[in-house]
Amino acid sequence: MLIDMPDDLAVRIEDLSITYKINVDTKKTLKNAVMRASKGEKVRMRTVEAVKHMNLDIPHGSVLGIVGANGAGKSTLMRSIAGILPPSEGRITVNGKISTLLALGVGFNPALSGRDNIILGGLASGLTKDEIADKTDEIARFADLPDGFIDMPVRTYSSGMYGRVAFAVAVAMTPDILLLDEALSAGDAAFKEKSFLRMRELVQEARTIVIVSHALQTVKDLCTHAIWMHKGEILAKGEAGAITEKYLEFLQVGTLPSNLEDF
Amino acid sequence: MAGKVNASASGEDSPTSRPSTTFVPVSRVQVFEPHRASLPPIGAYMREFWARKRFSLELARFADKAEYLDSNLGKVWLVLNPLLLAFVYFLLVTVLRGGSDKASGFTTLAHILIGLFTFYFAQNVISDGAQSITQGGRLILNQAFPRTLLPLSSAIRSFWQYLPTIPVYVTVVILGKIFIPKADIHIFSWALLWIPYVTLCLAVTAFGMALIFATMNVYFRDTSKLLSYTTRIWLYGSPVLWLPEMLHGWHRIILYLNPLGPALSATSEIWIRGHAPTLAQLIGLLAWAIVAMFFGGYFFISRERDFAVRI
Repeated sequence: MLIDMPDDLAVRIEDLSITYKINVDTKKTLKNAVMRASKGEKVRMRTVEAVKHMNLDIPHGSVLGIVGANGAGKSTLMRSIAGILPPSEGRITVNGKISTLLALGVGFNPALSGRDNIILGGLASGLTKDEIADKTDEIARFADLPDGFIDMPVRTYSSGMYGRVAFAVAVAMTPDILLLDEALSAGDAAFKEKSFLRMRELVQEARTIVIVSHALQTVKDLCTHAIWMHKGEILAKGEAGAITEKYLEFLQVGTLPSNLEDF
Repeated sequence: MAGKVNASASGEDSPTSRPSTTFVPVSRVQVFEPHRASLPPIGAYMREFWARKRFSLELARFADKAEYLDSNLGKVWLVLNPLLLAFVYFLLVTVLRGGSDKASGFTTLAHILIGLFTFYFAQNVISDGAQSITQGGRLILNQAFPRTLLPLSSAIRSFWQYLPTIPVYVTVVILGKIFIPKADIHIFSWALLWIPYVTLCLAVTAFGMALIFATMNVYFRDTSKLLSYTTRIWLYGSPVLWLPEMLHGWHRIILYLNPLGPALSATSEIWIRGHAPTLAQLIGLLAWAIVAMFFGGYFFISRERDFAVRI
């Protein structure tokens, strides 16, 4: 199949719309559905138009920040780029291997060791067991895990360790396109600096990063470009600093330092 | 492939402007488009499914490891539980029947034993598979992969749990034959060659049903609870605690309306009587496997997209 995609683009989004239905009943049970049906009522559903007719090109080697209020459709957009949530309309073309950190945590099973969870995560993302096994020690080192912790059950990890491992796994998979959702708030200042450095290295290798973050300073520091999403649409796009300023203005909070701080 | 970059939307200094970097070769291009009739492209889906089968296998292995991490006796219970249950049911059945001679009593026990082991295999595929999606939340939110791999992993694990029950059955029957030589059980026969076919059809049928219940469990979280009662009633309606030949004439249709009926009748036929399955059983096995896989597969895959927003 021929794909009309310029090869300097990592992601091309054309007229993308994503809608889905959610059950707004508090009790999502069969019992509730049967009770409602017996009264002649239907299960209450709501259609969410999370992304509306969006167009966007993301070139290789760029770092794109996505800002916007809760419910703007940022996470939905990320999931659709990752192929987790296919479009309702339009098309997304992705040129390269994707690694995601869209929900915090490596994992699957808190009773299993970090190493086991990492192997499972890698297999789910399509790597072979050997490929992942080679990387687990590197991941442990990058995540600053104390000696031996990689072979301890994940339930014994602190939340900081958990977040650091999750990030380390995402970057260790040598993705062409890295999708991160709020992940930067994991870890302390030193780890944040380390993760910034790693991301800059990835970009130097012409890999592409898309970050959803409420930490505007992070977007400003790290991203080359940004888009501001609002109710499923792009309100503005351009240079990261300019967009974060505009977004702040919209929030009517001016430039209060507390709002520029990372979480 | 190369072409001009289209500035895609309004806005100065768009993200489409190119930074000066060295390009690395990228390995693959993926296109995500709306699903037709809610179904993803089946060819691509099956290729992905096949490529990541190792993930299912390892997930099953690790789930086993996690469950029995702190318990050495854990795995023994897998065999002990159906064994004790079989004994309880045996007592119940023989008491209800008002007792019988030793030989036929032992034949009944053997029938209940192999029936229960087989039924529990199917039940585990269905009930563990039913919970596999709702329990795989973070994984589903984080990564794109054919979701059918999760119930497949439960099915693999259930198969591993089923395997050791066969030597247990064989041991019980051999011991029984030593003490009760009159017991009418043909333990080793050529008919055993049908076991892989019967087991495969049963596994596919149960997997298809697991797909249906796994999907329902995403929408209605009490499905798995309800399932525990349903499977209990299902057990009573299956030829496990009673013999298939107790049904005569048109009543025998009950055996074939039950998705597990042909498999359980054939199992008893093979293990107890040493007969090959009847043609009706063979057709019934295949028919249920195809029907369950087709409907289960369609029901599950056509709703897979919803999982990421409903988990």
